[in-house]
Parts: sequence; C-alpha cells; structure tokens
Amino acid sequence: MNPEPVAYDVAVVGGGSAGLAAAVTAARLGARTILLERYGFLGGMGTASLVHTFCGLYLQGEVGNPVLANSGFAEEMARRMIAATGLGPIRMGRVEVLPQHPVEFVNIADELVANEPHLTVRFHSEVVSVKRENSLWSFGLAGRGGSEFLNAKALVDASGDAVVADFLECETEMTHAPRLQRPAYVFGIQGVVGFDDAMRLRIAGTVVEGIRCGQLSKATLGLSFRASGRAGEIFGTIDLTGGEDTANYDPLDAACLGQLELSGRRIASDAIRYLKENADHWSHAYVSHWPVRAGVRESRRWMGEYVLTGDDIRQSRRFEDEIALAAWPMEFRENAKGPKLKFPMDQKPAGIPLRCLKPKGMDGIFVAGRCISADHEAHASIRVMGTCFATGEAAGKAAAGFAKNDASKF
Amino acid sequence: MMAPRSVFGMVNASEVLDWLSAEELLEIEDGFPEDGDLFAAGLDSMAVMQLVVLAEEKYGVVLGPADINRENLATAQALAELICRKQS
Repeated sequence: MNPEPVAYDVAVVGGGSAGLAAAVTAARLGARTILLERYGFLGGMGTASLVHTFCGLYLQGEVGNPVLANSGFAEEMARRMIAATGLGPIRMGRVEVLPQHPVEFVNIADELVANEPHLTVRFHSEVVSVKRENSLWSFGLAGRGGSEFLNAKALVDASGDAVVADFLECETEMTHAPRLQRPAYVFGIQGVVGFDDAMRLRIAGTVVEGIRCGQLSKATLGLSFRASGRAGEIFGTIDLTGGEDTANYDPLDAACLGQLELSGRRIASDAIRYLKENADHWSHAYVSHWPVRAGVRESRRWMGEYVLTGDDIRQSRRFEDEIALAAWPMEFRENAKGPKLKFPMDQKPAGIPLRCLKPKGMDGIFVAGRCISADHEAHASIRVMGTCFATGEAAGKAAAGFAKNDASKF
Repeated sequence: MMAPRSVFGMVNASEVLDWLSAEELLEIEDGFPEDGDLFAAGLDSMAVMQLVVLAEEKYGVVLGPADINRENLATAQALAELICRKQS
C-alpha cells in the first residue's frame, strides 16, 4: 500500500451525488483527491435514503421530449443509469424525471471511482473537524479505529449540511420549521402483484379507509407508492411531519432525527400490515428494505459570495459566471398535501453562479450540492440530485484548479 | 358531521376546481378547463388522499377504494359527477 501523501490536492467531504461528482471530476483533472464518506457506499440521498428519481436533469417545457439541462457529469450519470435500469425519463405530472435504482447507483459510483487512479475513497469516515494549518486544510476523521488527521490544499463541502462551515464558524443560514422542507422516509416493499397506476390510486383510497376507521394514524396521509422498475419491488415514500411537534423539527439534531427514523418505520409497518389485510394483491406484501437514514431535504447552507434567490429562479436569471443550470422548479414540501411546484415565469432554467459555490472571504473551499449558497426558495430548486451532479462537477473542477494554483481561471 | 352540500344544490365542475385550488390540492391557473387532465396538472396519490378526506368534510361523501380511479378523478367534470352520484 502506498503511504498517504503529505497533503491531498483536494478533499471532498460527503459522498452523495454532489461529492461523487466533485471527487471524480477533480481526480480526472489530475488532482490527488480523497473522498470522505460516513457510510459504506456512495450516493447519499439516492442510496442511503432510497430516493429513487433523479430530478433536475431535464429542461422543463417540451412534453415527451426531455432535453438534458446540464452536460458533463449529470449527462454521464443519466446515461449510465439508463443503461443500468433500462428505463428512460418519464413524466410525473408536470415534470420530467429519470427513475433511478439505489442499488444501481451504488454500483455506478463504485465503477466511477475504481476508474480513477488519482482518487482515494475513504468509507466509514466521518469528518469531525476542519482547521487551517500551514496554508493547508487539516481535517480530522473519526472511525471505529480512532481518529486521524489528513491535509488537503482545497476542500469541497458536499456534506449536505454545510458541516465544514460549522467547523470553521463561517456564516450559514437555515430556514426553520414549519417552513423548512419536510423530510421523506423511503422504504422497499416486495410481494405485491401487478402494481400499476390504477392500483396506486386504489391503494390511496384504502389508506384513507384505514385512517377513517382508526386503524392507521393521520400521518399515513403522507404515504405514496411507486414501482421501483424491478419485478415485484415497490418503494413507499412518507412525507414526514418532522416529528410529533412540527415546530421543533431540526435536521441537525440527532435526537430529532432518531425520532424521525422511528416514526417512519412505525407508519410504514402499520400501513403495510393494514394493506396486507385489506388491499387486493397485497396479502403477501412485506417491507423488504429500510433506508440507512430518513431523507432530509433541507438543512444548513453556506452563505457565499452570492446568494441565489427565489426571484432568480422565477425570472430565469442568467449569470456570467454560471456553472450549471437549475432546471427543477421550486418544489415545496411544507405540508402533507403533496409537493407544490413553482415554475419560472417562462419555463426556462436559471443559472447557478460559481459565486454560490464560494464561501464569503474564504479561499480554497468550494461548496457543492444542497448546501450551496441559496435562500429557502432557490434551495427548493437546486437541492435535487440532477442539479447536485452539476454543482458537484463545478466544485470539483474549481477545487482541482485551486490546488494547481491556477487561480486565474477561477 | 357537516350537512352534505347537495342539500343546497348540485356540485358543478367549476366549483370543484375552485375547491381543489383553495385547498391547495392542485395549483391551477385561472381558466383551467373543466375537462382538463388533473393528473397532468400535478394531482398525485398523496393529494388524492387529501381530496378524499376533504370531500367527506365538505360534501359529506365517503369515497372508497373502488371510487378512486382515473375515470372518476381525471377531470373536474368527472369529479363533480362522482360527488353528485355519491350524494344522491
């Protein structure tokens, strides 16, 4: 085994869709890169939380003729996922999405990182500190074997929760409940025969019956089902309230997150038990798969050189330094009545400036994914995985450039 | 239990559209056609569950799994007819 370099060129915190894109991109540009991931696989929300659609990949507008909004890594992921699942983009109500399978996502990520000789992936490693030392970023990693410190010239914060900003005591923002986006709890189901759109509606009626007769809790109104694309497999998704007391939902509080996991499993188990007894073709249904964690949609964000706003999205604003397009409408999930989509006035995407990826007054740190600098409304557009691939790619490129001391380009 | 709305008259499609909009079950612009596809406009199964709960409160109709299908829910017209049918 090669010894660890004294300093990596780029360290990427978090191996979700944005971190994967950032790390692979930086490594492809020749930067010695380390990707730090707390679980045993990559993919974040798309794997650990079983979120099974890539949103934000396609431009809005043309019905039935989806056009990719961002080329590069986003396009590559779309191509690889389509090849893996055999499923193309589909229209869901007013938007185009690409169904994705969490297991395939893990496989694709493994393949992508295995192809990069300059990339080291460190699983089961939680970043627990970051500080500036001798013109490098020094970060502490915690694992079961203890802790260690590594160094990098440039950092990418793709943690989803802006953890690096917290360690460095930088300016952040977080919208508070009840406006904060509700979390999703996604789980796998098997043993249902012939699930289709008609059954999805009928089941919605059965669930309401269960609530009416007192066998299911009102929280079950946040539950919906979708075929996974694999024979006999369905995903159930619950839009959680964020706890019994919505006002106290805090996605950065482990105790609160723990309660979410418990209530997600309770609602899901009760619903499947009820449907087994009361829905046609569900008598052999069972929960086959719990997520590693509930899917947090929104938490803490960096404050960068520019804060992307809801008005920018509504007005399809473009920027000279834009690095990606925000093609997903602002999707609000602030209550259990289903998502509320707010589209730009002329259906065109807004640009995301590089300045949203650059923390104010801080060199050598770049942000990617859902914790880039945006307000609550713009965040509702840029948080989705299709867009995270694109901001991740841009952050990886910027970090590799910074590490090479080629600051003029960035 | 609230009195069924039909005591005062039949429910029509335009009223259903206003109701869906007011309850935030669906975001539709003014002038959305009464025969416009509600699913294409964004109605999903979660909104359908809310719709069933709210229809009971507002119109006094109990919709069961057999009523919840595309035929009955795809347009405001179809939905108004379903509610009237259940009220009578």
